[in-house]
Amino acid sequence: MAAIIARVASVIRNLTRRSRIDHDLDEELRATVEVLAAEKVRAGHTPDAAHRAALVELGGIETIKEGVRDVRAGAMLDTLAQDVRYGVRLLRRYPLFAMTAALSLAVGIGANTAVFTIGNSLVRFSPVAVSDPDRLVDIGRSFDGLPIGFNPASYPDYLDIRRRTTTLEHVYAHPLFPKDMTVESEAGTEKVVGDVVTTNYFAALGTRALIGRLFLPEESDAQGANPLVVLSHRYWVRSFNADPGIVGQTVRLNRYPVTVVGVAPEGFQGTTVVAVDLWVPMSMVTFVTGSTPGGLEDRRAGWVVMGARLKPGASIEQATADVAGIDRALRSEYPNQSHPQPFRLLPASPMADKMPLAAAALLLLGAIASTVLVIACANVAGLLLARASGRGREMALRLAVGANRSRLIRQLLTETLLLFAIGAVAGIAIARAMTTGLMSLLPVLAVPVHLSLSLDWRVVALACSLAFVAALLSGLAPALHASRADVSTVLKDEGHGASARLRMRSAFVVAQVSLSLVLVFVGGLFTRALQQASSTNAGFDARGVEVASIDASLGRDGDAAGPRVTRELLDRVRHIPGVASASMSRMLPLANEAMGMGLSLPGEVPRPGAPEQTPGSGNIVAPGYFATLRIPISAGRDFTDQDAAGAPLVAIVGEAAARRFWPGEDPIGKQLIVNGGSRPGASIRVVGVAHDVRYRALDFGTVPYVYLPLGQHDTSNLSLIVRSADGRSVAGGVRAAIAGIRAAPQAVSLQSLDDLVAVALTPQRVGAFVAGGLGLVGVLLAAIGIYGVTAYTVSRRTREIAIRTALGAQRGTVVGLVLRQAISLTAIGCAIGLVLGAVAGQVLSMLLVGVSPLDPATLGGAVVLCVVVVLAGSFVPVSRVMKIAASDALRSE
Amino acid sequence: MTQRASLLQGTLDLLILKALSTGELHGLGVSRRIEQMTGGTFAVQPGSLFPALHRLEESGWLTAEWEASENNRRAKYYKLTKTGRRQLGEATEQWNRVAVAMAKALEA
Repeated sequence: MAAIIARVASVIRNLTRRSRIDHDLDEELRATVEVLAAEKVRAGHTPDAAHRAALVELGGIETIKEGVRDVRAGAMLDTLAQDVRYGVRLLRRYPLFAMTAALSLAVGIGANTAVFTIGNSLVRFSPVAVSDPDRLVDIGRSFDGLPIGFNPASYPDYLDIRRRTTTLEHVYAHPLFPKDMTVESEAGTEKVVGDVVTTNYFAALGTRALIGRLFLPEESDAQGANPLVVLSHRYWVRSFNADPGIVGQTVRLNRYPVTVVGVAPEGFQGTTVVAVDLWVPMSMVTFVTGSTPGGLEDRRAGWVVMGARLKPGASIEQATADVAGIDRALRSEYPNQSHPQPFRLLPASPMADKMPLAAAALLLLGAIASTVLVIACANVAGLLLARASGRGREMALRLAVGANRSRLIRQLLTETLLLFAIGAVAGIAIARAMTTGLMSLLPVLAVPVHLSLSLDWRVVALACSLAFVAALLSGLAPALHASRADVSTVLKDEGHGASARLRMRSAFVVAQVSLSLVLVFVGGLFTRALQQASSTNAGFDARGVEVASIDASLGRDGDAAGPRVTRELLDRVRHIPGVASASMSRMLPLANEAMGMGLSLPGEVPRPGAPEQTPGSGNIVAPGYFATLRIPISAGRDFTDQDAAGAPLVAIVGEAAARRFWPGEDPIGKQLIVNGGSRPGASIRVVGVAHDVRYRALDFGTVPYVYLPLGQHDTSNLSLIVRSADGRSVAGGVRAAIAGIRAAPQAVSLQSLDDLVAVALTPQRVGAFVAGGLGLVGVLLAAIGIYGVTAYTVSRRTREIAIRTALGAQRGTVVGLVLRQAISLTAIGCAIGLVLGAVAGQVLSMLLVGVSPLDPATLGGAVVLCVVVVLAGSFVPVSRVMKIAASDALRSE
Repeated sequence: MTQRASLLQGTLDLLILKALSTGELHGLGVSRRIEQMTGGTFAVQPGSLFPALHRLEESGWLTAEWEASENNRRAKYYKLTKTGRRQLGEATEQWNRVAVAMAKALEA
């Protein structure tokens, strides 16, 4: 113990009294020389000769000093402290270098940290107030052949799984999307977002009430049974001032009186990132969302996702097999009502239904962020090399006086590390801003997303290790190079070491140019994809169109009121001044929703093993839908009010469906069997063909599309679509029209269709913004790199240029000489960048719907931008060439 | 020129301690004394000597003080501490054991 204390004391002493000890050592060695010299004088040498001989006998004084310093306790710490001090001094002497390098590193590290922060918070998302979340699963229909994500299942599916499962307990259900609702209370009227859950929801998650109680599993899900509501902590604090007295009171939810039974724990939001304001039991679903009671019994109407807890001892594999078995059983029991997609069971995750989008976006962001960091490293490596060339002499001198090489390398690396430490700190700061920026790039989502983006130790550790690895990568080559300084050649002149260095620097510049070009190109591609995917290129025209999502059962007049009231509403809306046309539909284009429908031809015998029906997608629309969205009808007619319940069943098909079922024939008048809508398995006559429309931004292949008339099919959750005549909002008039109807439906939101479409294009917008923005940063860094290389060349060749000028060389020739280097570096960089860009385009082609991955305009634009900016970087040093006079030749060395 | 043996690992420390066992010496004095004790077999180079002296000082076996040298110049004199003297005893004992064992082994 005492030994350790003595050791520590000695380390501290050495660090603090460093100069005294150094001085001491100097004295000791000087005294030794004197003693030696005195002996030699006695032996008959002259004092001068004796002194010289003494020095020779002692050998390299510096070497001895190095040896002594190394054995001193804490030698490592000592040299480190010295290196850091020295590094700080150097950085302060070259503030521009230090700032450029640290800033580019901060951007690179910051971008990576920001992406990691978001990914980390998603992956490590831990549900609050949920017990044992690892045993929870999500269940739905599989998502169009993708390995992740869910399509909704039907309520009967839920009941069957709940009844038949042997491996799961507490199987609960809630709608795929939370619902907009209106709450009237003493606090006023407020629009909120609520979830509709089966009463076993809280029991399944093991959640306890903060105050009052939550729903009980034994409470009935029968319609109208339990007019209750549970408030979220956030909503309770926000709107009810955290008043515990709210429990037991009655509020009006969508005008329907419900009793507040309790408040959920703070931060509770189930297992998802969606933070709702309140929960109502499934028994309220027809009252608060306007679904028809039929929606609860329709085996084909997918609108719920399920969750459950694994029974003790059951594994997720067993549960998957269990659910697959139930799926097979249901298919044989209800052959005409089966959904084209099988059940899927996955461990509970925060973004079950949006995982593919989130994963794609994160991967993309990660790739972009890494590229930026590589560019930043290349930039810093280039700058360090430039510095190294300036310090060749210093290194050679230090080697000559006996410094050892590993010590020099260590010092150079320490300087680099110091730079990267600054970069890491600044990067973490930037990451905060970048994360917030990224989240704000996500357009106002229909649902409130709450994700805690904490800067936990993992994020900080990542930033630090990134900085460290980057420092080693970009610092080692220059450091090795600088310390390899050959004493004789470097002391004489810059020699061939300098040209090797220039080659390496040129390589870094080429890397920067090419990677920046890739980023700019990718950013451009996404911008083009945004343009392409915008409504006009997706087959419809969203400009000037407003959409209200409305309660389609239209309240309390009974089911029969549906078609009558929709007609009345449409009639009123069409007569609002300023309205050009209006219609209604179940689905909206580019809203990333799909209504699965199985399609087949009458009498078609499926091949063995093949599905009985072609999976298709469909929509239920009112007359005027195609005109309102300006979707061209290429053959036949639109639906009319005569296509009603008693009339012959009709459909309009998309062109892809027409090609699929009647290639080369006229589809008008043909029969199609559609499993979907309210008439499953009925044979329906095709009366029209419409141009194909992109209903999802990420189209994974064109699926056959079928439109069914609203007059012949019940549905809930309709969207009222209104096109204004002059592009001005008609929202006020629409609200008045809805309110004026006797059995007034709830219009829960009114938005422009453009805004809705914007949500669907989030990955593309994020890609365009991030890749484009960071690409520009990369190009600027490359410009700095070119500036450095060119300036260095000019300074090295000042003498040559001056002599050439003196001998009568044209200015143009001389400028060309210098410019040629900048141009060739840019050209090589661009060539490599083009190849990499083409590869990147191919990889991203899934997100680039409607744009060729080699879009010539984008490619050309990116190249021009890079060339102009990068060559601009060489302007200053090249213009310096013009000022070189013959007399500079004499001064230049 | 006498044949000079290379020093075994750890031998230098023992030689320095032994050299200082009869009284204090400055750095050069230590090297001279070792040369004299070993009949010129070992000549310690300053490059090894000074680091070794400082290492022993760090270990607490030596102390150093500035004093006037023979011809009235200031020099840094090293001398054994109590623990240094104990260390010399232990190291000598161990060395002798090793030497005897080695001799036996080589004669056998």
